[in-house]
Parts: sequence; C-alpha cells; structure tokens
Amino acid sequence: MTSVAGAGTLRRDDLGWYLYGVVAAGEAPAELGAGVSVDPAHEVELVSEGPLAGVASRVSLQEFDEGMLPERLGDATWLEQKIRAHEQVLERVLRGASVVPCRFCTVYRSEAELRRFLSERREALMAALDRVRGQVEVGVKAFVDLDRFTVDQATRNEDIQELEKRVAAAEGGRAYLERRRLEQLVAAELERLRSVAGGEIHSRLLVAAEDGLPLPPQPAEISGRDGEMLFNGAYLVTADQSPFEQALTSVARDYRDAGIDFELTGPWPPYNFVPVELKAS
Amino acid sequence: MSSRELESYRSGQPAQLADVLERVLDKGIVIAGDIQINLLDIELLTVKIRLLIASADKAREMGIDWWEGDPFLSGKKNGTGELEERLRRLEDAAGLPTSKQEQSNS
Repeated sequence: MTSVAGAGTLRRDDLGWYLYGVVAAGEAPAELGAGVSVDPAHEVELVSEGPLAGVASRVSLQEFDEGMLPERLGDATWLEQKIRAHEQVLERVLRGASVVPCRFCTVYRSEAELRRFLSERREALMAALDRVRGQVEVGVKAFVDLDRFTVDQATRNEDIQELEKRVAAAEGGRAYLERRRLEQLVAAELERLRSVAGGEIHSRLLVAAEDGLPLPPQPAEISGRDGEMLFNGAYLVTADQSPFEQALTSVARDYRDAGIDFELTGPWPPYNFVPVELKAS
Repeated sequence: MSSRELESYRSGQPAQLADVLERVLDKGIVIAGDIQINLLDIELLTVKIRLLIASADKAREMGIDWWEGDPFLSGKKNGTGELEERLRRLEDAAGLPTSKQEQSNS
C-alpha cells in the first residue's frame, strides 16, 4: 500500500505509523483510504489486532521526528494542514463507527509497536470504546452582543445609567476615567451573567446528554466572532442528535431576549470523553 | 421546534480552526511512553500556538501571508528563546495579552 513519493523516496525504515484513533475491528468502515491523511504519500489503513483496530497511516519519521516537532509546531501552515487532516480522517471514521480519538501526533516507530500498544492496552481501550459506543461529541457556544448588552444594562442598572450620563457630560481626562469606570461596571455585569447563565445553560443541556463538560470560553481573537463568548461546552450525545437539539432549541428560545446567540458544532469524535491517560492492563 | 430553527445554530461553514485545535491538541487519549513525540512539549506550546494560528488564520483571510516567507514561521530556524521572543512580538502586534505584560501590570 505504500505509494512512491517521487524521486529520493524514503526507505521503508524511515516510516512510522501515525495513529488517529481506535475502533472495534468489526465496525470499521471499508472505504477509509479514500481522502486526506497526515502524509499525502500514504493512505489511511486499519491495523487490526484482536477485537480492536487502529486507524493509522504511514508517515515519514523525519517529518514527525521528536527533535523536529517543536519547530514544526511553530509553522502555522504545517500545523493547520496536519491538524485538519487528523480531524478529517476521524470524521470519516465517525460516519461508520464509534471511535476513541487519539491526541495529535501519536506516532509509533513500527507496526509492531503499534500492535503491541493495541494488545497491551486492550482492556482500557475496550472500556473507553464502550463508553462512547453509539455516541458523538457536539460543541455548544453561546455569544452575547456586547453593544446590545451594554445598552440593555443601561436600561435596568441605575449605576450604569448615571455613569453614561457622566461620560457624555465630561471632557478630557475626566471623560476617560468615567469611561473606564463604565467599562469596568459593564465587565463586572458580564461576568455575573457568564456565571449565572453559563451554569444554567450547562445544566439544562446536560439533562439531554450522556455527559458534558464546560470548556474555557475562547477569546474573541480566536473565536472569530464579534460577540463575547459567554459559554463554551462539549457534550456526549447519541448519534441521533435530535433529543439534544430539542433541548438546545428550548434553551436558546429562553435566552433570545437577553441577546444571547447559540452555535452548535459537530458531530465531533468524542475527544473530550475519552481518558487522557490509559491505565496499563 | 422546526428544523429551520435548528439550522440557524449550525454555521454551515467548515469547522472553525479554533474548535479543531481545542480538541485535537488538548484532548484525546495520550499514552505516555508508547509514543516518541514528547507530549509535554506540545502541551507547553499549545496555548501560544493557538494564538499564533488564530492570528495567522485571520491574516490569511485578509490576504496577508507574510509569514509564508518568514524563515522562523515557515519552520526553517529554531531555538526556544527565539520562539518566545517572536511569539511575544506577534502577540504585541496582534494586541493580544502576553504573559510578560500581565506580570508587569500587576
């Protein structure tokens, strides 16, 4: 299956195995090879070992070398390409099977080492797989429009009303100070909303999910949205997402008047619902 | 509940890079000892890379791709001290808070 990567190809010895995730051997989809992989010269394959199969593809060990990695990670183009490939492979798998996703850059030097991992950690991997069987991860983010929030606060918070008047009336350094105070007051109100609304949103969504956890809200520079991210969460839900979507619709309705918008992402491989470290069997 | 209402929560766009990074770099099983990649290094770098990528992504949308030709950012040079320094400068330029600034402000 190894394709030839042009002139000066790497020797077989120079290839390792990049592991994307683990599936049950019987469940694995057949047409896995078609599509992207982290190393375009090599297709995605299944490496079956007993009841488990590793979703893996061969990679150049020079490219994924331990010593080179910190440098590679500083290369935005390389990193984005590889990370997207990692995710896309797992999304292909997720369409036909339950999967335990691995973290980025899980690489083995040889097929024997990959097989040894699958067999030595069989019990822990099976337990992780059982937990996510028939489930997918979805992400929920809630955003609040800051301008609208400020205006909204001004109508019901007398301190803010008073400060706004003073900002409008003041000049120079004084106006600056009053504006700072106004910003601080609005920020404090926003934090209060974050903790109250965030808690309620999470507990209402959790009822409709198998499991869930709040994630740190992304700063605006990262979220790419204009609004302030009020809440960020990940939920483990049945592959048929409709009960969860109904719960979200109901939550979103209740928060619409407060100027809070929701965004649903996924289905994701259940990254947030597999153990970070596997216990040795 | 109508399906149209639900559609409005889905952006319909390819996954945001930030959402992918949040998962692929931070979550998923890690098996210490079986892997050659030093995962500790990755964890230390995660947050900063995240910022870097986010700025890079935005810049690319705006048609700015100066880093493609940058020897450091295109991965042709190395050195952790230099990395730190460059990241700080990038963060400054992007108006993002840096750890240094936070320390000196408090």
